[in-house]
Amino acid sequence: MRSQLKDLILPLLITLFIFLGLNIASTALLPAFGLSTYILPFNVLFVLYLGFKLQTLWLPVMIFIVQYFFSFFSIEGWELGTIAGILICVLISYLRDLIHLSSAPMTILVTQIFQFVWFVIVSVLIYFKTGDMVYIAERFWRFVPESIFISLMAPLAFLVLDKFWKLKDGVSLGEEV
Amino acid sequence: MDLYNSGQVNRKKIALNLAIFIFALVSYINRDYELGQVSFFERLVIDTLTPLQEGVVSAQQGVGSIFEHYLNNVYASKENISLRGELANLEMKVFELDELKRENLRLKELLGFSEEFSQERVMAQIVGWDASSDFRVLRINRGSRHGVQLQSTVMTAKGLVGYVYRLTSNYADVLTILDSNNRVDGLIQRTRSHGIVEGYSGARMTMKYVTRTEPIILGDTIVTSGLGNVYPKGLKVGSVSRIERQSYGITQRIEVKPAVDFGRLEEVIVLTSHLSEELRAEWRALDERN
Repeated sequence: MRSQLKDLILPLLITLFIFLGLNIASTALLPAFGLSTYILPFNVLFVLYLGFKLQTLWLPVMIFIVQYFFSFFSIEGWELGTIAGILICVLISYLRDLIHLSSAPMTILVTQIFQFVWFVIVSVLIYFKTGDMVYIAERFWRFVPESIFISLMAPLAFLVLDKFWKLKDGVSLGEEV
Repeated sequence: MDLYNSGQVNRKKIALNLAIFIFALVSYINRDYELGQVSFFERLVIDTLTPLQEGVVSAQQGVGSIFEHYLNNVYASKENISLRGELANLEMKVFELDELKRENLRLKELLGFSEEFSQERVMAQIVGWDASSDFRVLRINRGSRHGVQLQSTVMTAKGLVGYVYRLTSNYADVLTILDSNNRVDGLIQRTRSHGIVEGYSGARMTMKYVTRTEPIILGDTIVTSGLGNVYPKGLKVGSVSRIERQSYGITQRIEVKPAVDFGRLEEVIVLTSHLSEELRAEWRALDERN
């Protein structure tokens, strides 16, 4: 059974390695080209991948690890993404039968929908803390292009990650657990 | 038996989800976006990963130079095909010299400006920006080893950039004045009106709490007031770019254009001795009392 903790460590390490590489490129390269207003939120992409493809007991721990490594690149910290990630993964677990990532357009669409859910959860948390609706509205206009880019990247990214997690189309890891 | 096992696993799943969720929620509620503390492990990881960011920036600059130089070559070849080879070499040298000259001018300007300040300072290069566009934070290649301290002021010849929010031995994260978590006590230079400048949206800032009756006009310069013990007095913050003054209410809404062009920022100056030990002790005492 490949859903034991020891089986998850190596693919998780590779996933983290790719995640760190993408974050380094995103935080250093895009601003160097003058694109400092928009930064690609790769943490959302990776957490969504884990949520879509993994049903293991250790999923919240893995979300926490991804977010913890994300916090080295952002003062946002690990908390907001972990809360949003866990809530979304719970939601995905209930909707799993309805979610089919069988084609690229479907993957793009589903990723976009769940990114919107992520945006709503994080915005609600920020609003509770700041009470600033104008900031949320301004966030939304940044979210639109960033999330579209992430959604467009999703089919390719999921395909690459599937290779490391040794997953085939429509099969998720850890169903026996 | 399978059902029993499955139920047990589900209970474990729920418990683990709940535990991490509650831990994250409590940590988020207590999170301080004004000053970040780093553990030994975090310091180690940041110090290990940031050289890679630095490398990516250097590579990008290198590729940019090659690309620009290539364009220069094409231009030269169009002008005189017979001298293309010779021109290519000359253009390369000219480009390199031009880059050096521009860098020299920029550094001279920075040094010349910083001589006006009595504080010790270090020059730093920007190696990355925050991974979330919700925060306007940049990472510089100077840390505690170079004398940088938490809350050290960061600036350029043009004006204020922000303060050091998170620090490791070789790198520091700077919370820029564009971030909504960074509030600068500002002063309109002409009228001496006080207000709080804070990040608002993208590259804009607002100045709050300026009384409606204050005769602010477009283009007025805003400088730091020195209050709050974070920034020294008299640093240029920006200029007034928009004023909304209603016929009612107590304050007016002022939009501020930062003095620094954050899109073109390459080097910054960190004032390392602005906060004296005495002031730090006062701050610590106040924090403990609160």
